[in-house]
Amino acid sequence: MALLQCNLFSGTLCFGTDINVIIPSPDSDDILHKKNISYFHKGVKFPVLYLLHGAYGDYSDWLRLSKIEAYANEHKMIVIMPSASNSFYQDMEYGSDYETYMTEELPAFAQQMFPMLTDREHTFIGGLSMGGYGALKLAFDNPDKYGACISLSGALDIQGVYEDIREGRMEAPFLWDAIFSDPERIQGSDKDLFELYKIGGEQGCIMPRIFQSCGTEDFIYHSNLGARDRLMEMGADLTYEEHPGIHDWNYWDANIGRAMEWLIYN
Amino acid sequence: MAHIQLNFYSALLKKNTNVMVFIPSIGPDDYLFGSEEKFNLTNMKYQVLYLLHGSYDDYTSWSRNSKIECYAQEKCLAVVMPSAENSAYLNMYKGEAYQDYIANELPEFLETILPISTRREDSFIAGLSMGGGGAFRFALTFPEKYQAAASLSGGLHMGILKNCTHLDKMPENYMRAVYGDKKYSDVIELLDEVKSEVLPPLYMICGTEDFIFPSNESFYKKALDKKIPITYETARGVHCWDFWDEHIRDVLNWMPLKEQMV
Repeated sequence: MALLQCNLFSGTLCFGTDINVIIPSPDSDDILHKKNISYFHKGVKFPVLYLLHGAYGDYSDWLRLSKIEAYANEHKMIVIMPSASNSFYQDMEYGSDYETYMTEELPAFAQQMFPMLTDREHTFIGGLSMGGYGALKLAFDNPDKYGACISLSGALDIQGVYEDIREGRMEAPFLWDAIFSDPERIQGSDKDLFELYKIGGEQGCIMPRIFQSCGTEDFIYHSNLGARDRLMEMGADLTYEEHPGIHDWNYWDANIGRAMEWLIYN
Repeated sequence: MAHIQLNFYSALLKKNTNVMVFIPSIGPDDYLFGSEEKFNLTNMKYQVLYLLHGSYDDYTSWSRNSKIECYAQEKCLAVVMPSAENSAYLNMYKGEAYQDYIANELPEFLETILPISTRREDSFIAGLSMGGGGAFRFALTFPEKYQAAASLSGGLHMGILKNCTHLDKMPENYMRAVYGDKKYSDVIELLDEVKSEVLPPLYMICGTEDFIFPSNESFYKKALDKKIPITYETARGVHCWDFWDEHIRDVLNWMPLKEQMV
């Protein structure tokens, strides 16, 4: 497979930023096992998964800490891994417009640069922890752009996460009042996933399919159960999985592969 | 301005290989001064310069030691910088087929994954030292693939040089892998076989204080004898990046570039 470490200037962020991009292509494994490589030809277009990092992370995390390249090649999917600092993928109150970068500028750049399908049915977004929230947030905000979204160990109940961190029950690097105009009033705002899902439904949007997975020993497990129930109550097309595991790369590596399989076969 | 380090499996080299790729796209100046729209052309591609490193160098050398990215951005030109070890851009006697890789596999691969044209009229090739020799070797061997080729301080007639450190310090077993029993294969020899009417125009420049200067003089003289379409410039300078960074701009100005997406 082809790995592209790409540095680009973002007119939205107004600085240079990095992305890692995996493009399926024939590799040594295909040669050794005599796999069919006829899929790779001039004019080929692949589905695309935007894959988001968690808090403390950047564009390099998924590549370094999971077998994402192997999964991308197996499922014949382009994977684009951007950086968003500790922004919760928001257009920040004090900071940068990461949501705009992720949902508008980066897709326009990628569509021009890489051989990818551009319709919503082949455009996916996923992430872990902060990136799990980010994936659902960006997908619910743009249901016309993303056909499905993935949350692994996602900080989906952001109000609850905020309160846990405020009360010192959870460690986190977030500058809440830089990210949100009023962190005390996230619930019911356009930063609240459940509110966003409700509004999308009320507006008659076809909402993205959701794959949600969380480790049963993860500190965010119970919060995930609550999020699942609330989304299901609203009729979300949601596939839920849980497995033994904690908030770590063992869990995310094992389950991003499952999630990508789900993207392809559902 | 998209600066891409690409790693992929080359079926011809039978191993993973790195390529530095520059693709023009908006940069700070385009944002600040409102020239973003020239890059937002769906289904358009870029003209491309294959830019070859010298001996003892690799795919990182041009982007580390020159401002090629700035110059290419101005010209709306994609730049592809592959690695070819010290192969002289030949298909090695016992080793990798770098010539076929760069002439055939790499352009096709890049066309599949990036907005890079493979048409002859959009494809250019240049290099320094061993890569200058390489650029002319590609142009003379595959004239149907390149619109123009340029050599900076090129290793064009190594046989004329006495006491060439660049050759003398090369490991003997590597030289055997490249050339077999021959000592080396000189680019100038290709002039005996070419038909000038189908050749892409050539441009060569060399520093007058460069140890490789005699090999450029000699090549140019023979090219004139053979009525090859060639432009030759000399300038004060030695075999160094100051020279190449300055004169790659002359190369880009000489090449018939469209300076827009195609």
